[in-house]
Amino acid sequence: MRKMLVIAGREYNAAVRTKSFVISLLILPLLIGGSVLVQYLLKDQVDLEPKRFGVVDRTPGQRLLAAIEAAAGERNSQGIFDPQTKRQTLPPFLIEGIGPSSDTRAARDGQRYELSERVRNEELVGFLEIGGGVYAFGPSSAAPGAPVENLVVRYQSNSPTYDAFYRWVTPVVNRAVKSSRYKDAGLPPETIEAVQRDVPLITKGLSKLNPETGKIEEARDENEVASILVPGGLGMLMFMLTLIGATPFMQGVVEEKMQRIAEVLLGSVRPFELMMGKLLGLVGISITLAAVYLGGAYWAALHYGFDQFLSPYVLFWFLVYLVFAVLMYGALFIAVGAACTDLRETQNMLWPVMVVAMLPMFVWLNVAKEPNSSFSTMASFVPTATPMLMLVRLAVPPGIDWWQPALGVLGVLALTLVLVYAAGRIFRVGILLQGKGASPRDLVRWVIRG
Amino acid sequence: MTADDYAVCIRGVTKTFSGHTAVDDLNLAIPRGSVYGFIGPNGSGKTTTLRMVMRILHPDRGEIEVLGQTGQKAASDRVGYLPEERGLYKEMKVRDILRFYAELKGMRHSRPTIDLWLERMGLSDWRDKKVQALSKGMAQKVQFIAAVVANPELVLLDEPFSGLDPVNAVALRVAVLDLRRQGTTIIFSTHDMAVAERMCDSIFMINRGRKVLDGTLEAIQADYGTDTLRVRLNGAGAPGDLPGVLRVTDFGRYQELRLADGADAQQVLRSLMARGPVQHFELTRPSLHDIFVRIAGPCDQEAAHA
Repeated sequence: MRKMLVIAGREYNAAVRTKSFVISLLILPLLIGGSVLVQYLLKDQVDLEPKRFGVVDRTPGQRLLAAIEAAAGERNSQGIFDPQTKRQTLPPFLIEGIGPSSDTRAARDGQRYELSERVRNEELVGFLEIGGGVYAFGPSSAAPGAPVENLVVRYQSNSPTYDAFYRWVTPVVNRAVKSSRYKDAGLPPETIEAVQRDVPLITKGLSKLNPETGKIEEARDENEVASILVPGGLGMLMFMLTLIGATPFMQGVVEEKMQRIAEVLLGSVRPFELMMGKLLGLVGISITLAAVYLGGAYWAALHYGFDQFLSPYVLFWFLVYLVFAVLMYGALFIAVGAACTDLRETQNMLWPVMVVAMLPMFVWLNVAKEPNSSFSTMASFVPTATPMLMLVRLAVPPGIDWWQPALGVLGVLALTLVLVYAAGRIFRVGILLQGKGASPRDLVRWVIRG
Repeated sequence: MTADDYAVCIRGVTKTFSGHTAVDDLNLAIPRGSVYGFIGPNGSGKTTTLRMVMRILHPDRGEIEVLGQTGQKAASDRVGYLPEERGLYKEMKVRDILRFYAELKGMRHSRPTIDLWLERMGLSDWRDKKVQALSKGMAQKVQFIAAVVANPELVLLDEPFSGLDPVNAVALRVAVLDLRRQGTTIIFSTHDMAVAERMCDSIFMINRGRKVLDGTLEAIQADYGTDTLRVRLNGAGAPGDLPGVLRVTDFGRYQELRLADGADAQQVLRSLMARGPVQHFELTRPSLHDIFVRIAGPCDQEAAHA
């Protein structure tokens, strides 16, 4: 054990005293912080140039065109400016009323093609065509033989990702149409709107009884974004800490092997001690990184009132699972390093390990949304995925029963023992092998026969 | 001698790699406190034998007893090892890496010993430099210190003098002989026959995995008898067609002539004198170099003169 600690100490010191460690320590918060900052800085960087849209109103009297023009006028004079700074933040919409063609199929198609050409020539961003029968309601709106497109509003454009106009115009048209329908039905629009007003819904956590005061406390507001982001962030951190540290370690093993340092070391320690010493060093590095990140995250959570998502209970399980994840994947990485003779070979041999390691990344969102579904529960008990998915389930309020992470640890422990044993056998043979890297068949043979 | 008098006992050891027998049924006993030289051609099994003594490799058959212990981990803290190719972390400082290797051998408070060795090997000014800043010779000396810093009872040196300039080679040789005076058993492999002749109490030669020589230099030479003439001719090399001479080895300033069985040395001298003045004539035992070549096969140059 003492020799393992000597090896672990050297590995730890060699890693944390390098510039690359400091860079990797900073790079994660820089990446996250940088992306938030860039998005914040770019949030106002929208195209403020006027955008022209054609509107073909086929309703009698073309009152909807007038309603859209009026709404656009109001929007352009008030809605596109920041209320506080008075700076323009959105582009004005210019509405060009276009007289409808005759109502035959050929005429409609001809007009649509003509307007499409204007869009292609960048005279218009898109055009809206309001069906002549949109005011109809009740049984008459489904009159047999009436063409369906007569009852809809149609928007054509060659930039489908630009949704600002049709998202704005949809309620404008509907409000005007509904108002007209109320009048036609002889109902006062003000009364109808009052009757139809939505009932607001707010989301809250559970109420608690304060044992000191004996009073029931007001439940906290639920924050859906934090409920997803915090577990996702923890899972991502687990993934990165496991793989970020293991990759340079694998490279280190290849270098030790090729520079014959391993031969000197094996004159003093057994191969298994050497590998375990390296793994312990790797665990130490990962815990150091985790302490820095989680310490910062916990402080931020306390400061901004998100501590319900990042309790000491969750952090405890994070560290437990981090240790096992590092041992499990670290052993595989080190074994791959021992079996290869250069870094290029390691990339070829590593991809199956990477695929297994990345699988939880593909399902974490489903698990976070429904942490107690059968799928989430089963997925979190697959040992290769347990460290990440069990953590996600723990971090989503209200969390899971204590026995689930405890049982998950047993599965991970069993797999870790198997993998460390197999990796140890690969390491023992591979570390002295020179010249040619091992094939997957060689690895299996080494594990079985030693 | 009893078993306790031997630092290493190798009994019936065989080691095979992918069908190639690197070491074949080897038996060897190395007395404590001796300097034992391992010689042999490239690929003959020297390094494999040393690695098995170090427990880095394990024999397929047979047993190796090191300092009275057998088993996988036996006595590893009491044995120092300098491998053929140097293994030092380039990013570490000299003193740090020596402390690391000392701690791996179970040594605590190693700093005074490290400083002593660094001073002795002329590396005191380099103690806080990174290994990558050292010359090849300096790195070689650091590797040597790493092998001996924990005061091992047995030291295995695989080609310790290769790549060293004469000054550093002398420093290393003096250090090795000092260790022997303190009772340390030294095993070293070398291709330099002159070094082996000068330094070793006993010599072991392995060829194609099998032991072909084992004993003191005098005993080995005695086995080969006085069948060698060392001559220097006036300005010319010895001709290769002398009657009674099997082979001529040209060393530049003199030539060694190996006599055939039953050949008359005086008759050879007369033949030489008939061809020109003879400045030096000596009937002697074969050198270790000559014995090595006889066993391992002549090199190209010697074949050309034969």
